[in-house]
Amino acid sequence: MALYHNPPMAYAQEPTTAPIEHRFNPYSDNGGSILAIAGSDFSVIAGDTRQSEGYNIQTRYARKVWQLTDKAVLATNGFAADGNNFVKKVKQRLEWYEHAHHKPMGLKSIARMIQTMLYGKRFFPYYVYNILGGIEEDGTGAVYSFDPVGSYEREACRAAGAAQSLIQPFLDNQIYFKNQQPEPGSQPFIPGNLPLGTVLSLVVDSFTSATERHIEVGDGMEIYVVMKKGRSTDDLLGDKGLASGMTIEELPSLGESISEGEGGERTFLVRQALKRD
Amino acid sequence: MFLTRSEYDRGVNTFSPEGRLFQVEYAMEAIKLGSTTVGITTPEGVVLAVEKRVPSPLLESSSIEKIMEIDSHIGTAMSGLTADARTMVEHARVTSQMHAFTYDEKIGVESCTQAVCDLALRFGESVEDDDALMSRPFGVALLIAGIDEKGPQLYHTDPSGTFVRYDAKAIGSGSDAAQQSLQDAFHKQMTLLEAHSLALKVLKQVMEEKLDENNVQLAQVTKAQGFEILGENDLKAVIDTLGTA
Repeated sequence: MALYHNPPMAYAQEPTTAPIEHRFNPYSDNGGSILAIAGSDFSVIAGDTRQSEGYNIQTRYARKVWQLTDKAVLATNGFAADGNNFVKKVKQRLEWYEHAHHKPMGLKSIARMIQTMLYGKRFFPYYVYNILGGIEEDGTGAVYSFDPVGSYEREACRAAGAAQSLIQPFLDNQIYFKNQQPEPGSQPFIPGNLPLGTVLSLVVDSFTSATERHIEVGDGMEIYVVMKKGRSTDDLLGDKGLASGMTIEELPSLGESISEGEGGERTFLVRQALKRD
Repeated sequence: MFLTRSEYDRGVNTFSPEGRLFQVEYAMEAIKLGSTTVGITTPEGVVLAVEKRVPSPLLESSSIEKIMEIDSHIGTAMSGLTADARTMVEHARVTSQMHAFTYDEKIGVESCTQAVCDLALRFGESVEDDDALMSRPFGVALLIAGIDEKGPQLYHTDPSGTFVRYDAKAIGSGSDAAQQSLQDAFHKQMTLLEAHSLALKVLKQVMEEKLDENNVQLAQVTKAQGFEILGENDLKAVIDTLGTA
């Protein structure tokens, strides 16, 4: 201390033009991408598992897609800490709701609740892009997408995150049939009715392509498939269901098991490795 | 009798040695002085009927409001201190709107009833930073009728904050006799029209004045129409069927 009590003249006389700002930035961007596609009686919600900051990979396995209820899966992307915390709060609200109303929250209600939760932090937002997928009350597959402050919309498909600009145009073309013309005299295209096999291929192609062209996407992929009550699982579990290198597991029901066997919606988790470079 | 209670009916939240809250029990007595109110559940919907006491021929009977809408699918009829009920209905309305705003769905009938009952026991000597709560229990009982995904439902709430579901229920001054008639006449497969006339028939039995379209009010909650208070013509039509039956 004594040494520096009187600093050297040259150092002390250094002219300062402005005060040095030390500003804490509470946000960061952890890369990665998510997407969801709705079918007529299923919904697919997927995300990669890489978490990065700048040029550094923090982990090759960080979860971005979460099973909320038997009929709802939420994908988060953006600032991972906010995403994790947001999912935690959503799950807490789902539990409170079930205690208060003696039923699990429906998909459209979860969507609306997420809006109010996000908008509730309008002036210190969760830096998270959310995509909610699942089965609606009427049994149709649904996708809801959100911006960080709660604007939301039900759609047939949506991509978000680092590779949104790579994946969304591809989905617009393949799911919404943009820039495609039906053959003269044939049926018009209707978005949201593709078979599960086709949708899974599109998801895999989206992520392998994004992995090639975007440094923040890669390592692994998790694809959640939510199926309507009573739907056949042959196209997922059958011989031609999955490509090699993919693993599948059925997630146990989160409901208070109404009656085992008959069951309700079923959720499957498909995993596949992505390139690690 | 009252001498034995004298120590314990002062503080509104003081238990007597026998484990009773006298102020709450007295509030229940207030309901027994109120006008008779009837509710009947049918597979098509729920019917609510109230007796409007018109003490003077100069009184404008349409100004007596004993049946109120809570939401488009829930309504309530009251007996007791109707002024107290306004606070509860206001709370129920706000809760219903908040639910629709937050969850994009109509609130359940039971959840709405629970919300009303949560208010019932928020009384007492307020403690400094407590934001103005009631100084006494509500002196009113409600019949809350509604339809949700579980079907038509009727709930009864009282000043103790307890709520119970009923197929058919009568409250108020004539409730003992009315409940007995309901028990004799009610059956599960009643049509809405049968419930209309049963409700009025039961009221007619316990009313002192001759029943007409000015001293009763009839409301229903159906899947298609939701909550509605029957207009004068519809009410007259039901009353006319009573005479023949």
